Amino acid sequence: MNNEQQATNADIDVSNFSRHLNGRNAPIWWGIIGLILIELSVVSAFTVTYLYLYMQHPQWPPNDIELPPLLIPTWSMILMLLSCVTMYLAGKSVEKSQPKGFVIYTFASVFMALLVLWIRWGQFDNFSMSWNEHVYGSLLWTISGFHFIHIVSAAIGTAAIGFFGVAGFYTKQRQIGVVVDTMYWNFVALAWLPFYFVLYYFPRF
Amino acid sequence: MKNQIPTEQAIFDHQQGSEPILDKTWLSPTGFFGWFTHVNQRKIGFRFVVTSLIFFALGGLLALLMRLQLVQPENTLMGAEFYHQIMTMHGTTMMFFFAVPAMEGLGIYLVPLMLGTRDMSFPRLNAFGYYVYLIAGITLYLALFLGMAPDTGWFSYVPLAGIEFSPGKGVSFWTTMITFIEISALTAAVELIVTILKQRAPGMTLNRMPIFVWSILVMSFMIVFAMPTVMVGSVLLALDRTFATQFFVAAGGGDPLLWQHLFWFFGHPEVYIIVVPALGIVSTIISTFCQREIFGYTAVVLSMVTIGFVSFGLWVHHMFTTGLPHLGLSFFTAASAMIAIPSGVQIFCWIATLWGSKVRLKTPMLFIMGFFAVFVIGGLTGVMAASIPFDMQAHDSYFVVAHLHYVLIGGAVLPFFAGLYYWYPKMTGKMLSERLGQWSFWLIFVGLNLTFFPMHQLGLDGMPRRVYTYLHSMGWEDINFFVTCAAFLMAFGFLLTFINTFISPHKSKSAGSNPWQADTLEWWAESPPRNYNFRHLPVVNSRTPLWQKAPIHKVTGIRADRRETLITTLLDAKAQSVCIMPTPTYWPFVLALTVGFGFLGFMFKPILFVVGFFLSFFAILGWLWPSRPWLAEKPPEEGHPIRGLQ
Repeated sequence: MNNEQQATNADIDVSNFSRHLNGRNAPIWWGIIGLILIELSVVSAFTVTYLYLYMQHPQWPPNDIELPPLLIPTWSMILMLLSCVTMYLAGKSVEKSQPKGFVIYTFASVFMALLVLWIRWGQFDNFSMSWNEHVYGSLLWTISGFHFIHIVSAAIGTAAIGFFGVAGFYTKQRQIGVVVDTMYWNFVALAWLPFYFVLYYFPRF
Repeated sequence: MKNQIPTEQAIFDHQQGSEPILDKTWLSPTGFFGWFTHVNQRKIGFRFVVTSLIFFALGGLLALLMRLQLVQPENTLMGAEFYHQIMTMHGTTMMFFFAVPAMEGLGIYLVPLMLGTRDMSFPRLNAFGYYVYLIAGITLYLALFLGMAPDTGWFSYVPLAGIEFSPGKGVSFWTTMITFIEISALTAAVELIVTILKQRAPGMTLNRMPIFVWSILVMSFMIVFAMPTVMVGSVLLALDRTFATQFFVAAGGGDPLLWQHLFWFFGHPEVYIIVVPALGIVSTIISTFCQREIFGYTAVVLSMVTIGFVSFGLWVHHMFTTGLPHLGLSFFTAASAMIAIPSGVQIFCWIATLWGSKVRLKTPMLFIMGFFAVFVIGGLTGVMAASIPFDMQAHDSYFVVAHLHYVLIGGAVLPFFAGLYYWYPKMTGKMLSERLGQWSFWLIFVGLNLTFFPMHQLGLDGMPRRVYTYLHSMGWEDINFFVTCAAFLMAFGFLLTFINTFISPHKSKSAGSNPWQADTLEWWAESPPRNYNFRHLPVVNSRTPLWQKAPIHKVTGIRADRRETLITTLLDAKAQSVCIMPTPTYWPFVLALTVGFGFLGFMFKPILFVVGFFLSFFAILGWLWPSRPWLAEKPPEEGHPIRGLQ
């Protein structure tokens, strides 16, 4: 808009302003930033809790419990990061008015999330310690479970977005739903980074 | 699929005869079932304020019960268990169910009016937050009536609050409901932030924003960073209690002190979350009742922001006696003392504003004067308790009880009641009775000093806090008797204000739109404001728009036949785009029920949490379901790819 000349000593006419809000001019964009800030506080509280308890113990994990193997969580990390790329491509498809591409990329992301969930489920079975034996086990289970639930909700939400996409709802002008869903998706994927390092690398130092 | 709305149907709010249409567009449905669909910010804000006052009254009644038990030594009015339940409920109610929702409710009601907009950014989320708050409050009080209330104090220290020493359902109610009600506080916080950043009237740069709005902005950011910690803490405690995880259990490698860190990392900012909006109220009322701009606007705003930051570095001063390393403790003493600097700056700015002006001593201003006296005393004992050697002596004694009540009643309750007297005419269109108001103020002021000042002495005499009775031989009985009598005096003072709010709508005269000759935009709307807040959205070009000689210009081209409001840029508040707002709906209520089901279910059968999770998903889907006709499109124009309007 003609922001530079906008004066405040006269009436302002906005009848020809856009009603299609797709980025930072949409309140929901800022709302999702707020949600991410809140969740970021939660993620840091969990991380600090882990480090705090880690510092209380000369031996971590306790009683010669073996550390979880690195390979499988690394795969799930890579898949999560890849799914950010497909989400980005899904957004680009809306931008370029390619509804088919949008649906394909969205469901590809959901598929990758499901793959991650499947891997994680297997990990739960193989954790070397139960949650009620020692606080090390409690942390492992709680932090993994916390992130597990987040992937579930991001996957369900994105699947719903995908179905709206099949119905042809999203267009170049009407894409704020995709934009904010992608923001949240990226957050969920990246939130795994600190947990990944804390749970799998930190005890090895 | 794409129902084009013909252009000729569009009715704009600057057109002749658009007023009834505007009114109908923003109408909240009437009737009992309509009540559950309301989303307008003033409806929700008003509910928050009223509900929080009801909880304030309940919390006050519990306090009177406690005082009755303590009126004489070895009293047998109630047993230890019941005493500890009502003591816990008193603290929990006042902190979580009165103070925070009351300040947020005032913010929700006033901020859009002060910004010159028609609603908040996420009206449905607003409604959801209210229902969550209501459900959490009702549940906790039901637990009290069933004798299952928590009894471990408002900060629920482990190991006492662990499953081993508190095997009943009480603490589970506490952990679940605390997690649950923080959802409400967090939704309101995000919503207030976005509204303040993106919906200010054109021309209202950050530098022209009313100080009350600044204070709400600081409070909201503090909530966003502080509340998640207590959620994490209470979730971990709930896991410890339900699934036998070992976070706070020393035998399993956990650490009870971790709970204190998590709790006070939230708990100390919490005090300032309550106090900062109160500071905003103080600045607003002083400015109005002196009829001049606040002295040192920038300094006042910066001090509030500073308080917000520094308050996150104080939490360990609640833990001086836990045996932490001394160097760390000294740091927290320094930080605690540092908070006096921005607080002092504000006090001097207020004094400078008052200096030489003709102050109108009406009831709101009286409460502000009371705030000065009481808050300064609370601040002084705060400085005392911030020094470690003194704290070692006074810790866990009635001295602390006296200190915290001076700070919280002085810092939050008195300003909140000042605000109530000040904004009541805006909310209802009627003035509160001045005579009853003055009586109420003096009774409260005298009553609270007589109640809490002697408690300093009780503490120095060694009476520990949180005891349900004491022995004859301790020599505490005279002061305790006196304190109980004074508490009833104070309660009577509050009762007068409650009576005042009930009878004034029928007796007193109409307030008119600006009874106090104030300067901020909420007084530009009618009292009470119409469904749409403002007939036209205003354009602002100063900090005190209503004190300017020049007429207020308006925004034209906002549709009257659907809920539209203006979005402006973040720093300079230049008109940016027009946002279409959601309409009334049942979904927020349904979602609050499903989320509540998940949380409550978790207490009895953990699997019900998963059921609640999926039910909530469907509620969210219903909430966000795009309603037809979808906003129609126009091919993008050259250079303006997303400006399409039918």
